[in-house]
Amino acid sequence: MVKEIMLAKKVYIFPCSGVGKVFGSIGREASYIVVNELAKDKAKISCLPLVVKGKKALIDDINENHVIVVDGCPSKCSYNDVKSATGKEPDGQFLSTDVVKYNRDLKPESDIIPLGENAKKLSRKLAEKISEKVGEILDSDKKGGA
Amino acid sequence: MAQFIKNKVGIIACSGEDLVGGTITRAAARMVVEKLRPDKTIILCQPLFMAGGLERHGSQQERNFAKDHPTITIEGCDEECARCAVERYSGPVAATIRVEDILKEHPGLKPATRETLDADGMKVAQILAIKIADKIDELLDEKHEEDEGFSDPARPSTDVRGCGCGCKKR
Repeated sequence: MVKEIMLAKKVYIFPCSGVGKVFGSIGREASYIVVNELAKDKAKISCLPLVVKGKKALIDDINENHVIVVDGCPSKCSYNDVKSATGKEPDGQFLSTDVVKYNRDLKPESDIIPLGENAKKLSRKLAEKISEKVGEILDSDKKGGA
Repeated sequence: MAQFIKNKVGIIACSGEDLVGGTITRAAARMVVEKLRPDKTIILCQPLFMAGGLERHGSQQERNFAKDHPTITIEGCDEECARCAVERYSGPVAATIRVEDILKEHPGLKPATRETLDADGMKVAQILAIKIADKIDELLDEKHEEDEGFSDPARPSTDVRGCGCGCKKR
């Protein structure tokens, strides 16, 4: 019997990208750091609005992979949007306001275009946490598949 | 209770994460609400608008605003997710403005990076912002001559009417 070779799953990262305050932008920036740098080849990003719109190919792909949501406020729009569109509980969820809370010395600037220096530093700290979670999720896959 | 805010236009940017167009829409929306028409616009948070079942956090307020006020959607690609959302939850949009149309009008501008806008990306965002502001004036039947020289002092290139891309637009 030929053993099927499973392709490694990836982790989708969906930041809320809220535009009203800087916290949505911190989540967005952190997500780019994860997919471009810290968990390159392990994580990918796509458009949250497209998920909510109901793009079938994207939703199917999310359901075949893993997903982490990154929100900028307690409304947790990304969490709710992804869960509602895919019917799936995200494998991880982050709030950018938490990283602000634990780094009181880095008060984020209100500008979002471009992000201020403190906001960028906070984004990197958040990205490191998201990247750790990506690793945990994929390690758990390996253990489960062993 | 939903409040009716007179003479305000809602702005909702797609903010798509996957393409540079989404980043451009965010930048343009902020330019309009912060600099060009701060007293005439309300920025609607796209994820909140789209999130269902979040009445206690205000998503219904956003949807009600778009029902009761002219709302402009700004689209980063031809999926037009923002327009689809407004039409689904609030009704017809007042206007839809697309990044792709700006790029067709200004073929010399080639924004490349979705993470942080490069110089061309900022120019496209500024042109888009002017277009949105013009549409707001049209909707509210007002004129704002001072936008002729709209510029962002933080940017090296400021005159968006002469964008330098070879398109011969004023």
